[in-house]
Amino acid sequence: MAENTKHSPGGGDVFPLRIRAPRDFFGGLVLIALALFALWAASDLSGVSGFSFGPGTVPRLFALLLIVVGAVVAIGGLLNDGPPLESYALRGPAYVVSAIIVFALLIRGAHLGAGIRIPEFGLVIATFLAFMIAVLGGHKIRLVESLVAAAAMTAFCVVLFRYLLQLPFPLWPTF
Amino acid sequence: MSDLFSNLWLGFSVAGHPINLGFCLLGALVGTLVGVLPGIGTVATIAMLLPITFGLDPIGALIMLAGIYYGAQYGGSTTSILVNIPGEATSVITCLDGHQMAKQGRAGAALSIAAIGSFFAGCVATVLVAALGEPLTRVALEFGPAEYFALMLLGLIFAVVLAKGSVVKSIAMVTTGLLLSTVGSDIDTGVGRMTLGMPELLDGIGFTNVAMGLFGFAEIIRNLEISSVNREIVESKIKGLMPTRKDLRESAWPIARGTALGSILGILPGGGAVVSSFAAYTLEKRLAKDPKRFGNGAIEGVAAPEAANNAAAQTSFIPLLTLGIPPNAVMALMVGAMTIHGIIPGPQVMTKQPELFWGMIASMWFGNLMLVIINLPLVGVWVRLLRVPYRILFPSIIVFCCIGIYSIDNSPSDVIIAALFGLFGYWLVKHDFEPAPLVLAFVLGPLMEDNLRRAMLIARGDASVFVTRPISAVLIVVALALLTVAVLPMIRKRREEVFVESEN
Repeated sequence: MAENTKHSPGGGDVFPLRIRAPRDFFGGLVLIALALFALWAASDLSGVSGFSFGPGTVPRLFALLLIVVGAVVAIGGLLNDGPPLESYALRGPAYVVSAIIVFALLIRGAHLGAGIRIPEFGLVIATFLAFMIAVLGGHKIRLVESLVAAAAMTAFCVVLFRYLLQLPFPLWPTF
Repeated sequence: MSDLFSNLWLGFSVAGHPINLGFCLLGALVGTLVGVLPGIGTVATIAMLLPITFGLDPIGALIMLAGIYYGAQYGGSTTSILVNIPGEATSVITCLDGHQMAKQGRAGAALSIAAIGSFFAGCVATVLVAALGEPLTRVALEFGPAEYFALMLLGLIFAVVLAKGSVVKSIAMVTTGLLLSTVGSDIDTGVGRMTLGMPELLDGIGFTNVAMGLFGFAEIIRNLEISSVNREIVESKIKGLMPTRKDLRESAWPIARGTALGSILGILPGGGAVVSSFAAYTLEKRLAKDPKRFGNGAIEGVAAPEAANNAAAQTSFIPLLTLGIPPNAVMALMVGAMTIHGIIPGPQVMTKQPELFWGMIASMWFGNLMLVIINLPLVGVWVRLLRVPYRILFPSIIVFCCIGIYSIDNSPSDVIIAALFGLFGYWLVKHDFEPAPLVLAFVLGPLMEDNLRRAMLIARGDASVFVTRPISAVLIVVALALLTVAVLPMIRKRREEVFVESEN
């Protein structure tokens, strides 16, 4: 500890618990939170009985281990210097994830609860739409080029998966 | 010894079947293609192409998937040399001297030395896999649950030690992977564990969803953040593919050393192609009379790492085929592929399905030969592929992954789980966590738990079984020793800083 404070640029002694490596510190905290969540989710499982491990023992063991290791990572973030947090991009992830979710919902329809139901749209429409939504996450958007590429990719996937590999995909919407 | 030859003969007759040769060629070509394109790694591709192999017979499917793996090592080096963009993590190091050689007009020599080195390494590794297969299988048959548990523990520790970056963070990733792997039905009682009441989670989180999310989607999200990647292609004509006599003489020993190093590191769990190419480069630099040449177009700097990564790519099949334990993330996917075809990886594969075992090994030799023959003339085609802009490439990868994941179980929820893992992978990158140890632990988790529970049951709840059985005790001692060695420099932070400096 004493050695490490020497490296910190000023003020290390006044605030010994300054967050020096925020990536490690918050990373460790999130892993601890994940482990706590797992402990809660596994709380209904029975533990050791007699010689046999119940279903709950191993998950709890791993969760406890993760809490310990997560804590070591977080404490390391207090003691050692590290790079600052990086900002998160929103546009890219948002469009990529939306594209994936749209595909998942359209490919064979879905019940969203509350009586809302998405009909089955099939491979062609799901692929084409997912492609076009994903395109929006990029930097340069060229509409015509993207439409052509989306159509070509859709055709390629239909031929490959439906006809060459004979997977049982619905191709077109069935309402 | 005569057994070895008769086995190899069996293998060559299986792999030499025209249909299997076709799959081998297809795999090698697809692998090269993927290796050339930056932004899709080997793990994501194999995950993506798993569903395509469903309809094939198991031997053909595995031959093709293996071809993709070592083909990617070739393709990655091509772009490293010509464009200074490593197509694969394994060829990052080849950029250093390979691209310098290309700038000096010796691209042809660099490419052919890379190919020759890889081919030599591939031949040696093929024989090694064949030779080690039988004795290791015999050892594996002696293993009980305690030994298996200890072995997998050792494997995970190796993965931690050999991973990039902080040891503690790698351990954290391993633990996260183990924890995630326990979601789903309990093997003994069938109770749903941590499913949060969702029936989709009863079968557990699918491995392909995790792999595709962490390596496929997360990588794309990450790439979109980095504004337009600069791709300056060396337009000079490649003349004179043949290396000179001097080139060959200078690279003979580096190739031999790279092969040896790669073969050893490939067998070790957590090692594999990436680590071995870095290690081989470092070794050559240390041995060189004039280390300053490195980074300025030293042919050894191309020959050794290329031989090493190819050797490692192949020898990493040894623990998978003999012990049933995948040493790295790519091999973990091969486990997935084998289980889909109803083959449980492990010592029984060799005894019960010798055609599969030996056929796959022999196909590696054919694959390597094909790569040398097809790749050098096709260099121009591969380079042209790099002109496909990323703005078209990434939506294509996304929809292809979506269809791939969906087709495994016809399950839309799997696609959404993969998307969530994509976001998780993005978060991991932002916090400098490596996803590879997580994925390996995720695959080994259920096996470890199963063996741990069986060992404890057989020993009537006595945990000392792991240290009283000799093989298990040795494995555990080695694991602990390794862990101590890895953690020590972290406690003395200064040493780590010295290490980082000496690497640059």
